[in-house]
Amino acid sequence: MIQVEHLYKGFDGVPVLKDINVTYETGKCNMIIGKSGSGKTVLLKCLIGLLEPESGDIFYGDQGLSGMNYAQKKALRQKIGILFQGSALFDFATVLENVMFPMDFFTDWSRAQKIERARFCLDRVNVVNSDDKYPNELSGGMQKRVGIARAIALNPQFLFCDEPNSGLDPYTSILIDQLISGLTREFNITTIVNTHDINSILEIGDRIAFIHEGNMLWQGDKNSILDTGCEELRDFLSANTLARNVMRR
Amino acid sequence: MHPCKLEKSVEMIRNFFESIGKYLLFLRQVFKKPEKAGIFWRQFVKESDKLILSSILIVGVISIFIGGVLVIQTASNLENPFIDKMYVGYMVRESLVLEFCSTMVALILAGKMGSNISSEIGSMRITEQIDAMDMMGVNSACFLVLPKIVAATLLSPLLMMLSFVLGLVGGYSVVELTGIIPTAKFVEGIKFCYTGFYVFYSCFKMSLFCFLISSISAYNGYYAKGGSLGVGKSSTRAIIITSILILMSDLIVTQLMLY
Repeated sequence: MIQVEHLYKGFDGVPVLKDINVTYETGKCNMIIGKSGSGKTVLLKCLIGLLEPESGDIFYGDQGLSGMNYAQKKALRQKIGILFQGSALFDFATVLENVMFPMDFFTDWSRAQKIERARFCLDRVNVVNSDDKYPNELSGGMQKRVGIARAIALNPQFLFCDEPNSGLDPYTSILIDQLISGLTREFNITTIVNTHDINSILEIGDRIAFIHEGNMLWQGDKNSILDTGCEELRDFLSANTLARNVMRR
Repeated sequence: MHPCKLEKSVEMIRNFFESIGKYLLFLRQVFKKPEKAGIFWRQFVKESDKLILSSILIVGVISIFIGGVLVIQTASNLENPFIDKMYVGYMVRESLVLEFCSTMVALILAGKMGSNISSEIGSMRITEQIDAMDMMGVNSACFLVLPKIVAATLLSPLLMMLSFVLGLVGGYSVVELTGIIPTAKFVEGIKFCYTGFYVFYSCFKMSLFCFLISSISAYNGYYAKGGSLGVGKSSTRAIIITSILILMSDLIVTQLMLY
């Protein structure tokens, strides 16, 4: 479980996140949603420690991120898997080497064991016969899958996905969503997905937090989101025709 | 001075010292103990191939031609019959070992090696590959930069030696082909008053210059921002800064070691 308490963050005196309080539950797909520029990527970067909050704290279990020393943060990072918006696969490495990369650093497994684990992860995300390909030889969807395989290589407790559907066609988007949701349940991971894709929200959003202009205005799940009384959230959802029609009814 | 100009000057000075501080902090991060020795050595071998072995061709070609040109220029300036022709060989050797094989080759490498390092690391930064490493708990600066610096610093004296030998070969070839001076005189000049310390001095300079090239280019790439345009700018900045620092350190090292 991850708990965010009274989180504030700004840049050059301009507040971007204002008093964010939210709990992300284990074994569920927790979504951070909002318009572009609402502050959701900043929140995600604060959660993974790439940005330092101005005040407030983030608790991984009982441990506050702000109170951790370098060694503790490093240990925590090995429990975290991240899927970046552009996949962030290493150009210098093949698909298999990309998935083996975290194992090379943080395990004492033999090469055969690493290859076995990497192949298991790649099979799990349905990437086959691509071990020796380089990232630039893969499609966007394949890159995301390899990114997910790398993120789960060390059996993470926490999985962060930044805009996992950006640049993908609707069909591949659904497959990626289902993959993230399936892995979350299968390995009992605390998954946090940062998205503005309404199809994803309605497909896999077990817990949803809506951010608008740095404020957390609404929290709920995919079943209650279309009945929301929050005006800003209704505006956000009404960009999608299906959601707009359901809300009218 | 106009208050606006004064403010700008103060800002520039502040930025300059900030950059030096940031560069030193970056080096501290780079020179941490690698996570695993095996991974470091694997990267070291890759970088040696990419930075040093791949530079052999360009260094070799330039050295042969410069050696040849030096012979012609020196010979044409030593027409006085009272000056022995063997001094052509002597002067070509001294020019090569003291300045060309280290400083000039380093300036060429600043373009080739510097832009390679800066653009590679810069594009990794803007495509979030460095963030991905940091988030895994990997010291990205140490993993990416340390093997480059070690390979460039330790192996660059070999390039200097190669450049020296090929420069002499180029000079010898011109002497043989044109007969501008007797070959025996050229060979005698090459052997005349040989000072082994000059080779050490040149190797030391080359190591220092390649340390500057690799670390400054890596620093510029590591902190690149602003998309592909930013990567291009960081490469250009790295080459300019490195070239200036090579010339400045050349002056300082020469004063300290030769005078």
